[in-house]
Amino acid sequence: MSQRGSVPLLWLFIQAGLVLVSCFTDMETGPGAGVSTQPNGDKFKIEGRAIVPGVKTQDWVSTARVLVEGEEYVGFLRTDGSFAVNDIPSGSYVVEVVTPTYRFEPVRVDITSKGKMRARLVNYIKTSEVIRQPYPLQIRASGPHSYFMKRETWGWTDFLMNPMVMMMVLPLLIIVLLPKVVNTNDPEMRKEMEQSMNMLNPNPELPDVSELMTKLFSGSKGSSKTASSSSKGSRPAAKRR
Amino acid sequence: MAKLILLLLKLCILFFVVHAVFEDQVGKFDWRQQYVGKVRFSHFDTQLQSSKKVLVATESNVFAALNSRTGELFWRHVDKTGPEGNIDALLHHAQDAVLVVGNGRMLRSWDINVGGLNWEMLLDTGSFRSACLVGQQGTVKHVAVLKKTVISVHYLSNGHQKWVENLPEGETVDYQTVYSGGNGQVFVLGIVPHSHITIVVYSMEDGEIIKQVSVEAPWLSNIPASCAVVGQGMLMCVDSTTMSLNTLDLHQQLQMTQIPLQSLGLEVDPDFHPSLVSHQPNPAQKPLSEFFLQLGPERYLLLQLNNGQIVTLRDFKPALLASFATTGEKTVAAVMSPKNKTACSINLYSADTGRRLLDTTLIFTVDPNGGKPERLHVQAFLKKDDSVGYRVMVQTEDHALTFIQQPGRVMWTREEALSDVVTMEMVDLPLTGTQAELEGEFGKKADGLLSMVLKRLSSQLIMLQAWIAHLWKLFYEARKPRSQVKNEVSIENLSRDEFNLQKMMVMVTSSGKLFGIDSKTGGILWKHYLNNVPKNAAFKLMVQRTTAHFPHPPQCTLLIKDRDTGLATLHVFNPMFGRKSQVTPPALPQPILQSLLLPLMDQDYAKVLLLVDDQYKVSAFPSTKNVLQQLQETASSIFFFLVDSSQGRLSGYRLRTDLSTEQVWEVVVPTEVQKIVSVKGKRPNEHVHSQGRVMGDRSVLYKYLNPNLLAVVTESTDVHQERSFIGILLIDGVTGRIIHEAVQRKARGPVHVVHSENWVVYEYWSTKSRRNEFSVIELYEGMELYNSTVFSSLDRPHAPQVLQQSYIFPSSISTMEATLTEKGITSRHLLIGLPSGGILSLPKMFLDPRRPEIISEQSREENLIPYAPELIIRTEWFINYNQTVGRVRGIHTAPSGLESTCLVVAYGLDIYQTRVYPSKQFDVLKDDYDYMLISSVLFALFFATMISKRLAEVKLLNRAWR
Repeated sequence: MSQRGSVPLLWLFIQAGLVLVSCFTDMETGPGAGVSTQPNGDKFKIEGRAIVPGVKTQDWVSTARVLVEGEEYVGFLRTDGSFAVNDIPSGSYVVEVVTPTYRFEPVRVDITSKGKMRARLVNYIKTSEVIRQPYPLQIRASGPHSYFMKRETWGWTDFLMNPMVMMMVLPLLIIVLLPKVVNTNDPEMRKEMEQSMNMLNPNPELPDVSELMTKLFSGSKGSSKTASSSSKGSRPAAKRR
Repeated sequence: MAKLILLLLKLCILFFVVHAVFEDQVGKFDWRQQYVGKVRFSHFDTQLQSSKKVLVATESNVFAALNSRTGELFWRHVDKTGPEGNIDALLHHAQDAVLVVGNGRMLRSWDINVGGLNWEMLLDTGSFRSACLVGQQGTVKHVAVLKKTVISVHYLSNGHQKWVENLPEGETVDYQTVYSGGNGQVFVLGIVPHSHITIVVYSMEDGEIIKQVSVEAPWLSNIPASCAVVGQGMLMCVDSTTMSLNTLDLHQQLQMTQIPLQSLGLEVDPDFHPSLVSHQPNPAQKPLSEFFLQLGPERYLLLQLNNGQIVTLRDFKPALLASFATTGEKTVAAVMSPKNKTACSINLYSADTGRRLLDTTLIFTVDPNGGKPERLHVQAFLKKDDSVGYRVMVQTEDHALTFIQQPGRVMWTREEALSDVVTMEMVDLPLTGTQAELEGEFGKKADGLLSMVLKRLSSQLIMLQAWIAHLWKLFYEARKPRSQVKNEVSIENLSRDEFNLQKMMVMVTSSGKLFGIDSKTGGILWKHYLNNVPKNAAFKLMVQRTTAHFPHPPQCTLLIKDRDTGLATLHVFNPMFGRKSQVTPPALPQPILQSLLLPLMDQDYAKVLLLVDDQYKVSAFPSTKNVLQQLQETASSIFFFLVDSSQGRLSGYRLRTDLSTEQVWEVVVPTEVQKIVSVKGKRPNEHVHSQGRVMGDRSVLYKYLNPNLLAVVTESTDVHQERSFIGILLIDGVTGRIIHEAVQRKARGPVHVVHSENWVVYEYWSTKSRRNEFSVIELYEGMELYNSTVFSSLDRPHAPQVLQQSYIFPSSISTMEATLTEKGITSRHLLIGLPSGGILSLPKMFLDPRRPEIISEQSREENLIPYAPELIIRTEWFINYNQTVGRVRGIHTAPSGLESTCLVVAYGLDIYQTRVYPSKQFDVLKDDYDYMLISSVLFALFFATMISKRLAEVKLLNRAWR
């Protein structure tokens, strides 16, 4: 009885733990980290221009934004595609132009305390590597975003050109056609074929399907056959039947 | 060569893992709703009669153009949150809209047709006071911006500064408004409280001061609140102490003339501060000489200033709201007056005579579950017969916008409260009658073979009936044209679908309005506005009873807590209909520290909610005898924790049988060094299917699955980039035992954490390398499981093995959540909300601390991806393709009835709902399944066997003959 009583209690205990976890705390969001520590409040401006080749700027600027270091600073695009993000203290920032349709590469912009600007490629692994980019920024779209996967469509050509099918069909053709072309009754030819089969089968220890079949059909008698004579072995078996 | 193989392997794995949206699935399972926030300023675009734009600037720092016919967005610009993006003023002229942003820091001009920026100007520092357009000789070319100590005038065409002047006596005078009547002069009105008004007149040409006068006005303290400029530059102020109107001619500035309201035969409601509304149709011309005077909460007067005399044109009583609108040369006044409890009527009056215009009544139905109307935005237009027609946009207390056409047809409604969803839950829909019948069959105990068979037959008959009815409906609707067929979902026909994919989304917004949204279509099925919700309230939504306990209705409880006082109230409602429940929640006189929903149920299947007050006393809801008895029995196994981040204290308590509490443990994080940022537990409805991981050598590594584990994130108080750090503490919530502690040096927040199964993933900013990094901690018991039947925090002698690995992430993130499925068999993905608006579905496989640096036979066997420092963002992994979610703040995941499918709702400024299949759809046929192919292959094979059989027979016969 005590045994039975203890199990639900333990279960409840777990559940209580679960409850514990769902407890109510209203400190979900921490205070923002954007505390500017620079006592001398020199603020600078990042300028540049975004270009989508072959598309009028009016068609895409209304959906675009310039994000500096996430959403820490936000800029908007003018009707000619140029932009300026104001009020940025000195430091190093990743500048991105984001639109839902076009892909722009991010650029890292370094601002010295005197306000000198430098733009370089973003490299998160080698953070000190400098590959200069033009400043004021010239950000060119590298094409539309690809959001979708292509559906696998089914066609006869796909099926036929499949390597597996090719691998199956070609040997089939060979099996069907070769005996007609080559005279298999010629002993010389047979010897040659045997040799080539040996070449093809470099691992003699590997159990062979045809050999297995032979064993099966010929019973205990065929057990003494060597592995190399697999093609040979199958034929007598067939004859015997 | 080895590298190539590695690459190939990687590609292989990537290919295996990739899951993305197919183009034909667009809009099939997903929907998005875009919002702008509570409207602060709005302007109708009046350049053209046919223009459909409404410009809105909102309290969420959003500037957008809405389509006035449909309510959809033409374009939207989302600025930074916080005071830097705050929109102070919106001025609109022709096709330009000028915004003053960030307390006068920025002046922006937008082209409203394109939605692009014309120009942007950085202004000098100084707090913003007022702005206006300045016209001259009938054209508007400048904009004047008044700040605390300086006034500047800019060209409207390019934003360049025409002139800037320091205001005289800036230390003593508080300048508050700027006004221009279109005659080449700019008036700046300032005030020395309880003394006098200062008026400075600038010349438009060069910024020279033409005049500077002071006028006695000891009773005045705030010009924008009690004054307005009327007619030929007459400043009209209303004095609530002496109950009088005071006029001052700005051009002559002699003295204020006092006109007592009693002389006009008017009286002000007690305790009401009267106010004035004037109207300037064109900034290049003088304002109208007619104006509104509000004398009480339900009383407006249309007055006219005529040669220094005030004439009452019309007295509106009762009137809720009043507003002017101009079209062409005509100006009209729209007045909303209450009609009955559920409707208000709006009428148009001629502004210069006060006469009511015929056939202009418009009925606005007040939603009983909504708020009261708050503002009236009127769009007037000239009809063909030169009479004035109009449409109104009514803004209500619950942030909703309703656009109405005569005679009361609602063209669209925007529930802007949904731009600020705080918390949400997904509740299963109830079963239909037939489904309930079937469920009932399985639920009942067996009572004889015959009756069982009969029951089965009857339920099958019911199903057949339903199917025939369905077919009939299909047939009937097929004859009707497409447009007439409506698949409207209403509360009445809501029922659970086969796989429980359609759910009710209960959303709680910061304004206190609750919504019930159908997850399939996004339609709002019910809404309920809670009146007295404090401004800074914290909400917690709990599902006390699901729909599974028919005939008991489902029940949700919302805990509303005032952050300042800690006082809380409970709102109990039915999540299907939004109606307030019959159950009366207990009154909570004490501040509430913590709430916990127990898995215990009362006799009506409602889960028990425990509330801990600041005296550490516990009260239960519902608190029936049954519940109290159950609580007494189980009190010894109920533990909870409290967090006091201001003192850095984390303490665990246990419940005593008399519902008092006792402290069990306490962890103090010294507040001088670091502060607690967040505490994350595991989701209570999470299931873990596999207890361990099979290794390459066929042994099993068991997971450490402690349901009571808490992940505590701390940040250093020192923000210097060399010394800042973040810490992660894994604490057992029952015993207070610290399981693991990790410190990330040279890192700072904001930290985003996901805690699930046996892992914790967190993201932080590395100040050393200036990049975002992910770190994953996984806990394992080892090769043997200590007690495989049940987990107890009190009996786990061995400390778990901890594995950790970190990665670079090439973007900052806004929020993070993990997918959740019914049984936890499906592999997990992390859903990451990015600032760009994309929601990335990152397989957890990439965040696995066992990813090897050198691949071995075993790691390949385990399908581990070789370690690469950088995680990649592929746009194919965006579950919301180009449907970006603005300012994503939270992602809610819920399991569906299908193990492969997880329902996802991302909310922020927008709401986006979709389904994700982290391991692809393994339990249903894919929607691109080729039925034609499979059936044709089957038929072909069938015929081939028939033919070959026949042929074989013939051959056999031939051989027999031989």
